[in-house]
This record gives sequence, structure tokens and C-alpha cells, in this order.
Amino acid sequence: MARLIRTEKEVEGHYTEQWIVVDEDALDQWPAGPLQTVGKPAPRVDGRERARGEATYTADIQLPGMLHAAVLRSPHARARVRSLSLSSVLAAPGVRAVLEPGDSHVLTDEPGYHGAAVAAVAADTFAQARAALAQAAVEWEVLEPLLDPDQAVEKGSLVSEPNVSERGATERGVSEAEAVVEAEYRTQTVLHNSLETHQAVCVWESGRLDVYISTQFLWGVRATVAEQLELPPDKVRVVCNFMGGGFGSKNGPGEYTFIAAELARRTGRPVRCALTRREENLATGNRNSTIQRLTAGARSDGTLTVLKGDYVNSVGFEGWSPSTGGPMELLYACENVRVAEHGAKLNTPPNAAFRAPGFVEGTFGLECLMDELAARLDLDPLELRMRNYADSDLVDGRPFSSKNLLECYRRAQPHWARREEVRARSQGPWKHGMGLASQVWYGGGGPPSYAWVRVGSDGRVQVVTAMQDIGTGSRTAMAQIAAEELGLSLDRIEVSLGDTSRGPFASISAGSSTIPSMGPAVRSAAADAARQIVEIAAQRYHLEERVLSLRNGHIVSADGGSWPIEEITELLGEGQILGKGARGPNPTGMRTLTFGVQLAEVAVDIETGEVLVDRIVAIHDVGRVINPLGASSQVEGGIIQGIGHTLSEDRLLDPGTGTVLTQTLDAYKLPTIADVPEIVAEFVDRPDEHLTNLGSKGLGEPPIIPTSAAIANAIRDATGANVRSLPITREEMLRALRAAREREGLERTAETVGEVRSA
Amino acid sequence: MAFDELRVNGGSYPLAAAVGRTLAETLREDLGLTGTKVACGEGHCGACTVLLDGVPTLSCITLVHTVGNRDVTTIEGLREHPLVASFVRADALQCGFCTPGQIVSAAALVAAIPSPTREEVRHAMSGNLCRCGAYPKIEEAVVTWQD
Amino acid sequence: MKFVRPESPEAAASSLGNGSVALAGGTDLVPMLRDGLVQADELVFLRDVVPRGVQSGRIGAGTTLAELEVDPELPQALREACAASASPQLRSMGTIGGNLLQATRCWYWRLRFPCYLHGGDRCHARQGTHREHAIFGNDRCASAHPSDPAAALLALGARLQTTRRELPVADLYRLPTEENRNLTALERDELILELDVPTPDASVYLKAMDRRAWSFALVGVAAARFGAETRLALAGVAPVPWLLENPSALEQSTPLPGTAYKVEIARALVRRALASLPTT
Repeated sequence: MARLIRTEKEVEGHYTEQWIVVDEDALDQWPAGPLQTVGKPAPRVDGRERARGEATYTADIQLPGMLHAAVLRSPHARARVRSLSLSSVLAAPGVRAVLEPGDSHVLTDEPGYHGAAVAAVAADTFAQARAALAQAAVEWEVLEPLLDPDQAVEKGSLVSEPNVSERGATERGVSEAEAVVEAEYRTQTVLHNSLETHQAVCVWESGRLDVYISTQFLWGVRATVAEQLELPPDKVRVVCNFMGGGFGSKNGPGEYTFIAAELARRTGRPVRCALTRREENLATGNRNSTIQRLTAGARSDGTLTVLKGDYVNSVGFEGWSPSTGGPMELLYACENVRVAEHGAKLNTPPNAAFRAPGFVEGTFGLECLMDELAARLDLDPLELRMRNYADSDLVDGRPFSSKNLLECYRRAQPHWARREEVRARSQGPWKHGMGLASQVWYGGGGPPSYAWVRVGSDGRVQVVTAMQDIGTGSRTAMAQIAAEELGLSLDRIEVSLGDTSRGPFASISAGSSTIPSMGPAVRSAAADAARQIVEIAAQRYHLEERVLSLRNGHIVSADGGSWPIEEITELLGEGQILGKGARGPNPTGMRTLTFGVQLAEVAVDIETGEVLVDRIVAIHDVGRVINPLGASSQVEGGIIQGIGHTLSEDRLLDPGTGTVLTQTLDAYKLPTIADVPEIVAEFVDRPDEHLTNLGSKGLGEPPIIPTSAAIANAIRDATGANVRSLPITREEMLRALRAAREREGLERTAETVGEVRSA
Repeated sequence: MAFDELRVNGGSYPLAAAVGRTLAETLREDLGLTGTKVACGEGHCGACTVLLDGVPTLSCITLVHTVGNRDVTTIEGLREHPLVASFVRADALQCGFCTPGQIVSAAALVAAIPSPTREEVRHAMSGNLCRCGAYPKIEEAVVTWQD
Repeated sequence: MKFVRPESPEAAASSLGNGSVALAGGTDLVPMLRDGLVQADELVFLRDVVPRGVQSGRIGAGTTLAELEVDPELPQALREACAASASPQLRSMGTIGGNLLQATRCWYWRLRFPCYLHGGDRCHARQGTHREHAIFGNDRCASAHPSDPAAALLALGARLQTTRRELPVADLYRLPTEENRNLTALERDELILELDVPTPDASVYLKAMDRRAWSFALVGVAAARFGAETRLALAGVAPVPWLLENPSALEQSTPLPGTAYKVEIARALVRRALASLPTT
């Protein structure tokens, strides 16, 4: 029976109350630990298609008569278009249509950042479209850009009101402290650089719009496009079968979809609008840079008395101010906490969600600060964290639906015990050390999400839901869940996803929510199908339903009977068994979070500033793990992105003009295979007994969160240098080493060189 | 217009392409061989890697007219290579967009060095960027490709 | 655009200029054509006419970096410099002749700022973002030369044979002047054909990068010892490959605020390079 209930939905820390309709779902959670299929390693079900180059990504969609769009973007960080003439563009070879400001809401004649879309063209080939754009006659009035985030805060140039929250009394917390550390941390702007660039192909047919798009949220694209173009949502079909990475930057339709849609409408032809790598690095979002001015105070036994954070997020021209102070509010049992977040509106490209936005940056600051405090108190960093363990959410006093961070710390201890041995490897200019950092993040997902399960007469199963697999292995995890519930082997399950016209509503693949949102719906649908199979079998074999169950491809009865499942399904002929399922509500009044700890071993060459990460151990608590193989891949991927964030990636601007200088992948340095350390991934793997019929939380984001702080803390352990600014390039490392030497009065003046970078 | 013939995966294709057209464009758009991906378009990421006479080559910055009589091998020509199975087995791919290029580079490596060391894998594969960070398992897949 | 396969190196050379551009590995040229950094009506394809391969210390200019990297006949510094260059695919495609002539990675130049090297009146990097830029020879243009093999060849005292002349590799390069903003002394219709590389008693190439592979040198140091003499050359520190008279010449460098760290790295790498060369 359908029930109408009021529930809470959380997306990246924001809770909203909403009504949802759920079906009865009386499923008990499976027992903990590896089952038949769930909890056991499974290679991806679509791995072969992808590896053989057979998978069709949006980039591979080729439709008859398809035109290609190119976008004229502002070369200036802040400017006005005084005049724009596209007549030569329209006359150029192959050109079919042009768009200018006014033709689409995504085009502007007052660009506020380098890369803002101004005009667009559709031509027979991309080369023609691009060549034609060079013919555009634009007269710019170039204006002074605002690039300095502190200045923006001072002037009140903010994207939203400052977010200030306080608990307890921080002044009292400071006065009660026996040790106080204050430090300023900085993190840089980081670019997503999914290998498939942002792109869409739009086709109009009989007033209906098909959108092929590389996206993390089919239904979000559908809703936004329908609303903007004033179409009934069912007139918009959104397709994404295979997707070449998103990391948070592909949650919405983006300007390219609207450009393609409008050009397609005007030409009556399919239009692709695919960004180049350089456009990707200008106009598709970024992890914004931050300035974090932090204070921590504690009693001599390590009990925190105060945490204070003043954060400036360099949001850019548009975007939102992420919760950089979130980790400070959530991670420790500190009574007096004050967090103030300012989102600076600047003439720089807008930010976008990037794998745990805010928390990656904020954890760097907080967890480095904790180690600086530990050093001041002469306490073991792991001990300091355990002493301040939070048993409940102190933000609003809620109990956690589950929390196994202490277990993570316990499992960290044997690794942490290697510290002396690691330090002892130091030789000559190479100093070795070890550091750790904790992780807290959301990842509980929520309703609504739906799935259908179709069982054919051949005893094969198709899971149908209009979700997307952004490369995280969602297809495989959903297949495992259905296989487990139906007692079938994995090779009998297909997962049909990626098309809003071919399945029910499914949630976004963001906020570490795919498994916790979709998994329970798939299990519920599979259970519905299983129940029907059992009902039919009961009639066929003249047994009671309650003595029958599905196991190993068979219907088995309590008294030892066993029949291949096909014996029942083949009765169906062309008929099918259709199961449907929905994601149930989240536990009321509880806080669902993910936790973890990472330990890094590094080597630092104190003469050249080179930092090598030798080993990272990651121990995460994300509830039940569906696919340990895919989960370890997620952890490795998050850590490797974290290493790029820590050591080499930096979106650089020209300080005078606000021009983005690092648009290409030679200048913007992603980690290569040669940069990867040994990575050890462990999971607590205990189902969250309050969360859904699975007890699983999400894992996409947690692994990237503690990496930078763990590495920076290992560097401090190795060298005594406080690195407080990311990325830890050669110059930053050498600067920090110099500052450490000065602090210790050991500065060898003969070797002094000029200040590399102001602190 | 210049006319040429292109040898791809053992087949031969008459070719009419404007000078300046890249091998990647020709493979993907003219021959429909979309297994070869273009991710940066300027030779920085390795997604477009194909073999020319067995040598890993960036098809996005190779003008098709320079190919001449060299044999082009794309992922479509390596679909039965044991590396495909070893990549899947090791979970050496996430979104999979870089994977064809990874496998093409790895195929050249194991043709030259059938049992490469991890260091050799890292040296030979460092031009194939993977943003998902499947590297540890890519290394594993290449080292164990004969299993 | 036309595509030409010349019959001989001389024919190739003589057809260059006036919109005709030489194309070898294409790793630098093809992207620059697309970006409008180079304009061409005609591409003169060198693959079939420029010598390729290594024979008794002579290297064909058409030899790829990947081929040089594994040639046991060559001095260690050159092999190491090739192995540390770019990415495996770029090494497989790029020729040593092209590598010596590659353009700077300076982002201002690549993004077509009207900078000194493009004929403008100032270097945007000097006042701008310049952490990858020069510490020597940087008063007019602060770009950094990206070639690792060039530094190795400079330390090794290699000589070039072109279609017109023979010259030391040092003479291939020049700093830009008011009148002439070129960074090489090659005539427009002149092609590098071969390199003659002396065999040192010992040599080495060390490179500091932002990541462990596929990155242009922040600082590259080549050292080659011939008898009692040791020659040092640096990559990534000046608009051209830079010969370092002696280690203390580093104290005469003119770093920018954001490149001072390169002096510190260069000191350490020079010291290590010298220490690593066995003495007889």
C-alpha cells in the first residue's frame, strides 16, 4: 500500500523536509558481512564494453545531419560587449545558425569571468564552427576585475549572506585553554577535468526534445531544461548511457545544453555542443580556493575547549559558498565552536561541487591545526583525536544513525605504530615521516528513488531505473543487490539505466548518494519480484509461500525441495514478472554521516622541496560495502585526486587580468601513474542498522577528504615544517622548510634565497 | 583535397580528407571507430592513443596525411587482446573514457616487454592520464595480463 | 593547406618560408597550427628526408626521443634527458631535431598575450604569474626553455649539421633582442639534419618537476665530464638552454620573485650531478 509520509532529505549537509509516497517495504536488513553476491568483489558488469571501446558515451553520439556548435567566450574577466557583429560568422563556410546575447539566457553581453559564454554558432563540422567564430567582430569595454577574495569580503561582494554559526561560548573556550594555536591555511582552485568534457547533443522532434548529455543527474537535467524551455517534463527525454566522469561538475544541464537546444530548434537538425579541454577548464566549475583563519584551544590533557574558523571561499562570479567549516562543526566533541563562512563574489570562473565540496578544504585546515595543537601539547596526534571523540552530533544534538570512527582509529593503530620505523628511513636530504587525518562527511542519500525489476521466462532479470553510472560502478552494485535478493548469479542480471524514457525517477549521482539512495529501491523491487515468483511457485508446487525462498538460482522449500527458477519462469511464456520498489525514508531525528581516517607516509627532499608520498592507508566507515572491489577503486581514486590536490594541481590566474593561464593538461598537472603511492584500503563494513533496507552509505567522496591533511601532517612529522598552503609545490615546501629553520634559529644565512611566496 | 589510403586494423580505407584533419577525427568521424577517445585534443592526456606500426601515437595531434603506409591499430583492433580481460578482472577502469588509450599503450608495452616490472609499467604508461585514479589497478592489470 | 612530401632535405629546406612550414613529429607544430600560433599554407613533411637513427655518435635529426632513450651507444645524460622528457607517446612521436626547436611553454606566449616574444613591448610573465619561468637571461623575456635533451646536448658539446652549415648546439640559440625576437639562430629555410655528440667520460641528467613524470623541467641539470673538464647546462631556467660556466655562476642568476626557488633547486641538483660523475 502506498503511504504518504513526511521525511527529511539531506544533500551535502542541507536538510529539507518533504512529503514522499513510499510503498510498504518491510524488508529486514541482510545480516552483516559478505553474502552470496553482495559484499563480495565483483568486476564491473560493463567493464568489457568500456575496455573494448564499445560503450557509447555522449562524445560518441553521431546522428544523421548533426551540426556542431562552438561558443564565443569572453577573453576578459570583466567586460561589456559594446558591439557585436556576427554577420561574417554567419557567412562563413558551413555555418547554419548563430546565437547572440538575448537569444538564450546562457549568453551574456556583460561577462563577469574569463570564459563566460557570449555567442554561439552551429556549423557542419566543429572545425568550421570554430573557424567561423574567429570572424566575430566584438568590441569590448574591458573593466577592472575584482580578484582578491579578502578585498571582496571587505567590500561586501558576496554570493550570499555570510554563514555564521556558534555553539557554546568561544571566548570562554579560549580563556579555559591551556594551549592555543592559531594559523592561516590556504587551499587553491582545483579543476575537475573529467576526461569526457561537458557536452550535449540536442534533437527536436514533434515538439519533443531529446537531450544526450554527459551528466550526473538525468532527472535534474530533465526538470531544469523543461522549466527553462517551458515544456512539460515528459516532452524532454534525457539520455546518458555511459559517462566519462563528473566529480560534481555535471549535476545540471549547463550552458552547452541550452546552446545546443536553441541551435537545434533554429536549424531543425541535431546539434552537438561539446566543450574543448580549454573551455572545460574555464567554464564548467572548479573547487574554489579558500583562506582559513583558524584557532584551536585545549587543556593540557588535550580536551578541546574551543575551535574557531573564519573562512573565505573564493566562489567566483556565480556559484555557492560551500560548507568549509563543516568538519570543524562535526568532527570533534568541542563545546565551544564558532564558524563563519564568507562566499566571495569575484570576477573568476564560478565554482561547482567537486567531490566533497568545502569538506576537502576545511579538513585540510582543521586536521593540520589539530596536529599543530598536538605538537604544542606534546600529545600523540591519534590520541588527541580519540580524546575529543564526538558520540553525537553536537550541532543539533542528534544521535548518529551509526558511527564507527573509533573502530577506524583502532584499526589505524598498527599502521600508526610504524611511525618510528618510517622516520628511521631518513637519510641524507630525504626525511621520512607519517601523518594522519580524520574524515567526516554526509553520504546517507534519501528518497525519492524508484526501480523496477523484470523477470523473463528465461529466468533472466533486468533492473530498470533511469539512474546513471558516472563511472563509480553503480550498474554493478545494483546488479549485485538484485542478484542477492533474487538468489541468482550476477551474470543473470542486466541493468538498464541512462534514459528518462525507459525507467522511473532515480536520484542524483552526487553527494555520495547513489548506493544509499538507489540500492534500497533496487532491493525493494527485487524483493517484490521474488515475492511474486514465490507466490507462483507456491501454487505450482502446492506449498505454502512461507516455506519457499530463492537461493542459488533455485526455489527451495523448507523441507528440502529445490527447483530451478526457470521451472516457474518458463510458465510465463511472453509474460513477465514485474517488481517495483522505492527508497524508503531516512531515520527520523538522526544524523547519518560517513567517517574514516587516513595515514600517509611521505619522504621529503629538503634540498629540492620534492615530496614523495610512499604509502597511504585508508580506513573508512560507510556502512555495508556492496562491492569491495569497486569500493577499493573508489578509495584509490579519491586518494589519487587528493594527492593531485595536495601536490601538483593549481588553476593559476594572471593577477592583472584574471585570465586563466592553466587551461591545458600540460600546465594543469593531474597525477600520473608514476605519482601513485602504495594504497591500502580497509572498510569497517558494518551495516548502519537504522538506514534503509541495506545499511549502506555512500563512498564517492569520503576518500578524498582527509588525504591532503594526512600528507601535510606527515611532512611536518618528517621535517618540522608547517605547510599551510596547497598545493605543496617545490616552492611552498622550500618556503615552509625555511620558515621552520628560522623558527628554530638555525637559518643558514649563506644559503638564504629570496622569499618565494609570502606566507 | 589530397587522396590517400589508410590502413586500419588490417583493413584498408580510401581516404579523402582536407589537409589538417587529424587521425583521431578520421577514425572517429569518417570510419566510425569511436573507441578511440579524444579528451584534450592537444596531445596531453593519451586518451586518443593508437599504434602506428606498433608505436604508441597520439592520434589527436597526428595529421592523417602523415600516416602514410604505416599500420594503424586502434582499440577496435585489440578487442581480443588479453589486456581487455585483465583490465576488467583487476577493475582497472572506472568511467572508462581513458581506458581504450590505456590498453593501446599497454599493448605496445607488453609487445616489447612481455613481463614488465612495475617501474617499466609506470614509465611506459605515464602519458595516459586517468582522472578517476584507476592507476593502481591499471598497473596491476598490465603486470598480470598473461594470467 | 597543402601537404608536401619533398624528395630530398635540400628540396625540403628550399621550399620553406613564405607560408611553408616544416612538419616532423608534429607534437608541437600541430597544436600550434590549431591555436593560430603558427600560420601555414603548406606543410613540408620531413619524415622521409631527414636522417633517422644513430651511427657512431651521429644522430639523425629525425630520430625520436623514444629511440634515443634506449640507445646504449649514447651518453647517459642524453638518454636520461630523453627518458625524462614529456610523455611516452610524445617521445615516440617527437624527433630530436624538433625537440631542439620547440617553442616555450610560457602560458602568456601560448595564450597569445602580446608579449615580448610575440613582438610586443613587455614580458607579461615578469609582472604576472611566473613560477615556471626563468632565472637567467630573463630581462626582456622570462620564458623558460622546455627541452631536456637540449641541455644535455649543450653540456655534451654536441654539434649540429644543418642543410647550410655545421655549428655547436650552443650557437643554435640566442636571446631575443629588440630587432629579432627569435630564440634560435636557424635561418627560415634551414633544417637540422644530424647531431654529432662527443662521448664524455661520464655524464648525467637530473630533473626537478611538479610531478614524477610528464612534466616540463622546473630545473634540469646536465653534467658531462671530459677528462678534467666538466660542463654543466640547465633546462627550464632561461629562454634558451643555459650553459653554466661553473656552479657558482648560479649566484649571478637574476630570479623573479616567483622563481627564486629554482636557484635553490639548481644548487642542489648541480651539486648532486657533479657528485654522481665518477672521477678517474
